[in-house]
Amino acid sequence: MILEILKRELAPVELEVKDVSYQHAGHAGVRGSDNGETHFELKVGSKEFEGKSMVKRHRIVYSLLEDELENGLHALSIDAKTPTEIGSK
Amino acid sequence: MSSSITFHSQLASSSRIPSFEFVSRASTINPSALGYQPRTATFGTLKFSSHAIKTGVPARRIGCFAALSPELKTTLDKVVTSHKVIVFMKGTKDFPQCGFSNTVVSILKAVNVPFETVNILENEILRQGLKEYSQWPTFPQLYIDGEFFGGCDITVDAYKSGELQEILEKASLS
Repeated sequence: MILEILKRELAPVELEVKDVSYQHAGHAGVRGSDNGETHFELKVGSKEFEGKSMVKRHRIVYSLLEDELENGLHALSIDAKTPTEIGSK
Repeated sequence: MSSSITFHSQLASSSRIPSFEFVSRASTINPSALGYQPRTATFGTLKFSSHAIKTGVPARRIGCFAALSPELKTTLDKVVTSHKVIVFMKGTKDFPQCGFSNTVVSILKAVNVPFETVNILENEILRQGLKEYSQWPTFPQLYIDGEFFGGCDITVDAYKSGELQEILEKASLS
């Protein structure tokens, strides 16, 4: 479960996981996924992201969700912020 | 003056891993010349046997072994540096087949920079190889000046903050 993995590994101060698969149903490259859980939107605020570029932050999230990505998860929209960045929004 | 990248792929007879021959006429491009028309790069049709998948080896290991061969890596090294701005995406510049890919293409058109696109839906080997190569599991993938820049989210954020335009400007001057 995406939520649990992220909670456990990133100790986030903010975490939102949205399944938006319905927005992408039927588009090229999705056909073949059975369970419909293909596209998610993630909002994560974690100290782990401090000092890291956006690409690094995304890669951290991707590597935590490696298994999911091999089993149907097809696309992730990631909003990765540090607690400081969230505070100054 | 026109530019195109043509990839010829042929199965090496003794191996399941296709070899790519990279043919580029990019050296004739002068971006500042009038009439420069970036073209979408297309890969030749690839036929390959998939009995590697049937051996029962865990999928992840197969992915690592079959996806990014040294030949493919060398080819990709050349591709990502062949143009200043290149997007690996679903669909083509004129017909994106995914919302995220479409967003990146729209942004690049909005900032009015010449760019190439490569349709990874046409080539499964390329699609999987790029995930390894870029250490990025999704598409679109934007490369600027030979370096991986990011996917859709990162590109959108950078466009909003102006960082994308700055980086593109630097790339076009170098």
